[in-house]
Amino acid sequence: MDDSLFDLYDREKLLLAEGPAILERGIESEIRAFAERLFERFARVVRENEDLTRHSDRQEQRLVKLNQNLKTQTHELDIRKTELENLSKQLAKYLPPQIHEALFAGNHDTRIATRRKKLTVFFSDIKGFTQTSENLQPEALTEYLNEYFSEMTQIALAHGATIDKYMGDAMMVFFGDPETRGVREDARACVEMALSMLERLAELQQRWRNDGFENPFEIRIGINTGYCNVGNFGSDQRLSYTIIGGEVNLAQRLESNADVGGILMSYETWVHVQDLVDVEPRGAISMKGIARNVMTYGVTGRKKPHQQPSYALRHPAGISIELDTAVLDADTKVKLADQLSELADRLRAGH
Amino acid sequence: MSTATDLQIAATERTPEIHLSASTGLFRMKGESYPEDVAAFYGQVVHAVEQLPTALAKPLEADISMIYINSSSIKAMFRIFEGFEAVRRAGQPVTVRWHYTDDDDIMQELGEDFKDRFPELSIEIKAN
Repeated sequence: MDDSLFDLYDREKLLLAEGPAILERGIESEIRAFAERLFERFARVVRENEDLTRHSDRQEQRLVKLNQNLKTQTHELDIRKTELENLSKQLAKYLPPQIHEALFAGNHDTRIATRRKKLTVFFSDIKGFTQTSENLQPEALTEYLNEYFSEMTQIALAHGATIDKYMGDAMMVFFGDPETRGVREDARACVEMALSMLERLAELQQRWRNDGFENPFEIRIGINTGYCNVGNFGSDQRLSYTIIGGEVNLAQRLESNADVGGILMSYETWVHVQDLVDVEPRGAISMKGIARNVMTYGVTGRKKPHQQPSYALRHPAGISIELDTAVLDADTKVKLADQLSELADRLRAGH
Repeated sequence: MSTATDLQIAATERTPEIHLSASTGLFRMKGESYPEDVAAFYGQVVHAVEQLPTALAKPLEADISMIYINSSSIKAMFRIFEGFEAVRRAGQPVTVRWHYTDDDDIMQELGEDFKDRFPELSIEIKAN
């Protein structure tokens, strides 16, 4: 037998193929013998067919049962999925969104591990909160405080901040981890965020006053850029994704030294944002854990777009001076004036 | 390598492992069976089994352990069992052991069907 010619019904087909010639010949004995073979084969096929049908029915029943089980499991999975989604939404309120997303995507490492990274750290605090809270009914205080934090948080998230924690009436936020756009862009995003917060707070203060909140919240903001330890701190049982280090403490110190309704930043932040904001230099501060004296700058407002330098000189001889006197401190101004005066004297003298 | 009466067919996702040796009298079939082309797959097996009445050197011992088998494959197995029947009629003892997984009532009942259909063969239904 050629394997390639095998047919599941080859015997039946061969038998059937003999029939016409036998009938044509009309020999009774031959027809009888053929009929017997035909009956025998037919009986076998009927039995086979019964077995196959029975087997097929059993398989179908199993499939139906499996399908029912699958539907039940799918339904249970849907319920679990909904539960997980709800849990995820609740957890999201307690975690920085970047960490929450990374955790649920399976990308976040939950081992105790930290690294040093240059971050821009933001602190804010409500001025005289204890006094303010004593003058308000607890319900009103809760309402105003929740609104304040909700609004500030929304602004922080819109600027890509990682919200580290709320501490009573204070807020600690940083830029540069787990996602960074580079140290400069992180610093700029932080200062933009701080400005937006103050602008929004001014609007809220107006509304709160209209609502009867006589002395609405006012805040101080401190911002610093520097190397911090960032990562998971704590124990295997309980972790906290946060930042620590002298530069973090410095940001907090800047906040406590800031004007009410103002932003005080370190030199390290200011160098990245000097074209964004007008500042006035403040004194240098020193801090335990930081070797250098830190120059500080108080923000006086946003720089106007395309602001002209306060002094500009261009000469065909190839001299071009653009001077923004607002960013110069008194000492620098005097030294620069002396140098320019000396240059003028030498030019007049024909040197 | 397979010869006309000796088969060594490895299992695939859709076809069972099949082993046949005329010299040892052993036949083994194990796995799942829903080949894309049943006739092409089982043609060689039916052909080899049909040679057994004249080729077999020892009594035939067949072990069959299937997990899933579709209807066309069962039709092919009827032909294989008819081959076993022919061996029996040629005077060689034939023992068939039909193995099924303990909770697989479909394979158990299919074994019972084969036992009813081929009363001349000694078919043992065994739960694993």
